[in-house]
Amino acid sequence: MNDWLEQNTFHYSDFKDLNRLVQEKNRKGLCISLCLPTLNEEKTIAKEIVIMKSELMTRYPLLDEIVVIDSGSTDRTREIARAYGADVYQAADILPDMTPCRGKGENLWKALYITHGDIIVYLDADIRNIHHRFVYALVGPLILHDHIKYAKAFYDRPIATGKNKIRPTGGGRVTELVIRPLFSLFFPELTQILQPLSGEYAGYREIFDQIPFPIGYGVETSMILDICERWGLDVIAQVDLEKRVHRNQDTRALGKMSFVILQTFINRIRNRGLLELNQDLFNEMIQYNLVRNEYQSDVFKIDGYERPPMREVQAYREKFNL
Amino acid sequence: MKEYLDRLPAFVDVINSVRETILTNIILVGQIPAPTFKEKRRTGVFLERLADAQVDECTTDGYRNPIGIIRGTNDAAPPIFVVAHMDTFTEADVDHNFTIKKNSITGAGILDNAVGLGVLVSLPEILRRLEIRCESDIVLAGVIQSIGKGNLRGIRHLLKTWQAPIRGAVCVEGVEIGRLNYYSDGMIRGEIDCNIPAGKGWDQGFRPNAILILNEVVNQILTLRMPQRPRSRVIFGKISGGFKHGIIAYDAKLGFEIQSDSYKMVKSIYSDIKDIVDGISHEYEVELKLRTISNVNASRLKFNHPLVKSATEVMKKLDIKPVSAHSESELSIFLSRKIPALTLGITRGRNYHLENSSMEIEPMAKGIAQVIGVIMAIDSGVCDDERLA
Repeated sequence: MNDWLEQNTFHYSDFKDLNRLVQEKNRKGLCISLCLPTLNEEKTIAKEIVIMKSELMTRYPLLDEIVVIDSGSTDRTREIARAYGADVYQAADILPDMTPCRGKGENLWKALYITHGDIIVYLDADIRNIHHRFVYALVGPLILHDHIKYAKAFYDRPIATGKNKIRPTGGGRVTELVIRPLFSLFFPELTQILQPLSGEYAGYREIFDQIPFPIGYGVETSMILDICERWGLDVIAQVDLEKRVHRNQDTRALGKMSFVILQTFINRIRNRGLLELNQDLFNEMIQYNLVRNEYQSDVFKIDGYERPPMREVQAYREKFNL
Repeated sequence: MKEYLDRLPAFVDVINSVRETILTNIILVGQIPAPTFKEKRRTGVFLERLADAQVDECTTDGYRNPIGIIRGTNDAAPPIFVVAHMDTFTEADVDHNFTIKKNSITGAGILDNAVGLGVLVSLPEILRRLEIRCESDIVLAGVIQSIGKGNLRGIRHLLKTWQAPIRGAVCVEGVEIGRLNYYSDGMIRGEIDCNIPAGKGWDQGFRPNAILILNEVVNQILTLRMPQRPRSRVIFGKISGGFKHGIIAYDAKLGFEIQSDSYKMVKSIYSDIKDIVDGISHEYEVELKLRTISNVNASRLKFNHPLVKSATEVMKKLDIKPVSAHSESELSIFLSRKIPALTLGITRGRNYHLENSSMEIEPMAKGIAQVIGVIMAIDSGVCDDERLA
């Protein structure tokens, strides 16, 4: 089982030679798109765009476009992203004939229609210590190793705890408490993927447009399960990006995230016949607040809706001559 | 003779065209914490960025100051130095990740001196874009151990060990655009420590109070007569001490700086302060220690020095209002070694030394054009015939 871990795990410094990456990209005639899904990210979006534009467009022409797909931010995210030269879209304006949905997965899915790249890099827009290695290290395995079609990040995760202090360890709670136990129970080989929920990954369009996209948090989980089922673990690589500083989320938010991930996971193993349930799953996450000595429920409803593989959408087939 | 002056306004647009690269350099270098004496990681990134910018030579000197050299066209022309200090006031555990907004960047140490360093490592690319090739080599030096207890050790070592003559120098600071520093006051920065030995049992309540002892020191320093000429003053900049509200303080520390046009006067005032400290230590039977943290000699260019005049012209051409002031920094060391030098600021900012210090992006291009204008002035020979008095 450890062969994959040894052979398909890289460190970002393995791809530090950007001239070589650009040469190989040009030799293979590839086009590469960076997609940043956003919702109220005015504090971090500019830095991501500035650094990627400078390092991977101006200095080393590795990226061909930077696209921001926004879920309807109420702050200045779109204005700032535009001011720094990204192509900015509202998710609801893309494929407007389809019923609009809201969520990160929706933005990633719609990016497939908007972008032109043969390779698409997805980065969360809340990375505070962004560096261009977050892109070149994910693109590197795809360009240099023909059998790899999808690359995922892992890292140390210091958390910004407020008051401008950094705590050196922590993070990845949903990974360790939810995903890793599930993978261990059902797909032990997938435990080798050290951070399956990381929001930074890149892959070939031909992979992404053949898999469904849950519209919310479940997208990372479904992606791994679906890619692994269709093409095998060998097409996946993971890259150590070292440190990533991000916003810390409270336990309640992580609870909701875990609910969606469990929902996605259980639906998939049920569809594959690995699990039989005698009833349908409920679609509400219920949490409680103590308000003036009374417990009040806080109900978070998630239907677990998924977008079909983009290749099945007529407008996409027409745009890409499929 | 001064055709470069007419080119300056057009420089601003070209500099703006590489804005992302300049901002990226400011961020990538500035986000690495570098408190004085702990600049190693930042130095590594600084060198990496210089090497990436394809300078002709990239190295560190014997004191680990990182240096990049852009080779000039005339081997015989002495080099021009452009320097910025590497170290920051902020400690390593403070979050150094910057936030960029539409027209500002906020973060610890951005103004002092991430902007200066970012501009330094961007200069090779900017000069290429402007198609400027100087006669002199341009030495881009990030100097370590500059502020506070660093006592400008990095720049002192760099200049002490640099064998050949230096044509002129520009020191780059983040703020404020328009500053035109061409003289340094004489300065001694000192600290006075008061320590009261811990008592036993009921003794505790009857010990002298370290804060009140230092208060007495301050009061006596304030009685010293400060001459109008040479202009002299004592600044009390830092004070700390004590344990908790209801306990007599058993330690306290006072940080001060003596500034004067004349270093002789600085030393004389320092000597007076030493007498005060010794006297109070004796009278109150407490341990009072006076320590020198750093010192610089007074040195200056005349206002009519061709470098100062050229810098003023450069600023005016770019609609920047020059403001003359003293600066006790790398500038002092250049001037004390008779090397014509100036300190210039790049942009406007706020909350200078706070964790949420913030720079404006828009004025930056003019600030950089001004630095390049002064480099071109030095390269055209404005410092060649003039020597300090």
